[in-house]
Amino acid sequence: MIDVFRRSLSDFLRHRFLHGVCLFTIALSVFIVSAFGLFFINAGSLMEAWQKGVRITAYLKPDVTRQQAVELSKSVKEYDGVDEVSYIPKKEGFAWLKKQLGPQSSLLSDLEGNPLPDALEIGPEENIKTADAVDRLAAKIGRQAEVADVEYAQEWLHRFRGIYNLFRVTAAVMAGLVFVAIMFIVANTIRLILYSRQEEIEITRIIGADEAFIKYPLYLEGVMLGLSGGLAGLALLYVVFSATVPKLSPGGLLPYFQITFLGPEIMLLILISSMLVGWLGCYISIRRFLRV
Amino acid sequence: MDQISDIDSQIIRFYRVTKHFGETCALQDLSFNVRKNEFLFITGPSGAGKSTLIKLLYMGERMTGGYAIVDGMNLARMGRRQIPELRRRIGVIFQDFKLIDSRTVFQNVALVMEAAGFKSRSLIRERVEDLLELVGLAHHAEAYPPTLSGGEKQRAAVARAMVGKPKIILADEPTASLDPDASERVLRLLRAAHARGATVVITTHDRDLISRFDARVVYLESGRRVDSPGREETG
Repeated sequence: MIDVFRRSLSDFLRHRFLHGVCLFTIALSVFIVSAFGLFFINAGSLMEAWQKGVRITAYLKPDVTRQQAVELSKSVKEYDGVDEVSYIPKKEGFAWLKKQLGPQSSLLSDLEGNPLPDALEIGPEENIKTADAVDRLAAKIGRQAEVADVEYAQEWLHRFRGIYNLFRVTAAVMAGLVFVAIMFIVANTIRLILYSRQEEIEITRIIGADEAFIKYPLYLEGVMLGLSGGLAGLALLYVVFSATVPKLSPGGLLPYFQITFLGPEIMLLILISSMLVGWLGCYISIRRFLRV
Repeated sequence: MDQISDIDSQIIRFYRVTKHFGETCALQDLSFNVRKNEFLFITGPSGAGKSTLIKLLYMGERMTGGYAIVDGMNLARMGRRQIPELRRRIGVIFQDFKLIDSRTVFQNVALVMEAAGFKSRSLIRERVEDLLELVGLAHHAEAYPPTLSGGEKQRAAVARAMVGKPKIILADEPTASLDPDASERVLRLLRAAHARGATVVITTHDRDLISRFDARVVYLESGRRVDSPGREETG
């Protein structure tokens, strides 16, 4: 094995240019796929963070007394998945709205009285992560006789999740296609390497080398190309990430969320995939090339 | 046809071997034997089938018909996996040297031992250095073939052919592209290999070269064996 590795490394260095081309191709492909991965992982985390911040507002019917509202808030507090419930009288709600509007709050002065109803603001527990669970909880609250309407960022979340899921499926298909495309690019680049070494391979055969002696270093070269291309691609992504992301980070807008680089498991998966691509590319080329 | 008097003493046995390339017949019903440790010339004009015969011997090509045994291995029935084993018993020297340009002279020669499965780096180094010393290329061990003269390249090829201690050395027009001095040096090395016990088969169209040796000659013409003028075939 050490001997095979030694010969692979020696061949790798001896044919620097073509190996460099192949390495660059893999690095660029890994960069593109990893950048997609980075986007989707962070988009997923962002959505999770938003979901954590979701609050359900239950508007109460006008005839509900303060006593009934307090009773209702106590019973809602007992529901599964509810972390906290606050009773917001309409007066308090109006004051909050005015404060939020700031300089535009004068718009409210033309209104006759306070149009807002009394409300309960419900904070779901952190473990309520899926949109469906939030939907179920909101529906249960909405069924209470005292509740006129329930509101939360339902539609927005659903739409965002829909788009995200569509992107995710598209990305998975694209990643698959890119994987196959890279494999064939690598296969063809390796075939170029093999063509440039056709005479060398032929001579090696004539002097008594068996197929294993010829093939194993080539396979190992494919894996080494995949690994080094993968490392180069990830390094490039890290450089671009470090240079651009601190300027893009939503920071104060979303206190729950911070854009992060790929985790070690994902990076390991990418490196294993790129090694697999290198090996498969090599396998395809060698099968076609050495069959002749 | 050669008389088969002692099969055990024969390392190469060809019986009615034929080789076709499509419609073209390169060798037709060729029969001859080579004794162990014999020094044999195969000669004939260009296109006579000399190089094809060498290729058949190391299984660079498969015969179309007939029967051939090389060092006990049946070429007609040989599977792909057996070919490397046959080739490790044979050292081949080509007119165009067939050295790997991206490897040094030392690496070219050592590759034979690596391919044969030798693991000991020190043994490989020792044997390659001995051979390079013998062929007078010790000082060029780290040189790359493109930097060598034709004669030096061919001596490197001879060292490569000898390093695996093969039973048979096949030389296909080994001196055709060399000047007289370089040719003489290469032939001395082939004699040395013969003296060490190898069977040496040389193809050449150079009659002068043949006349300098007291060796048997097989004469080919248009793919058939014919009697060489001035020499009697003894088989």
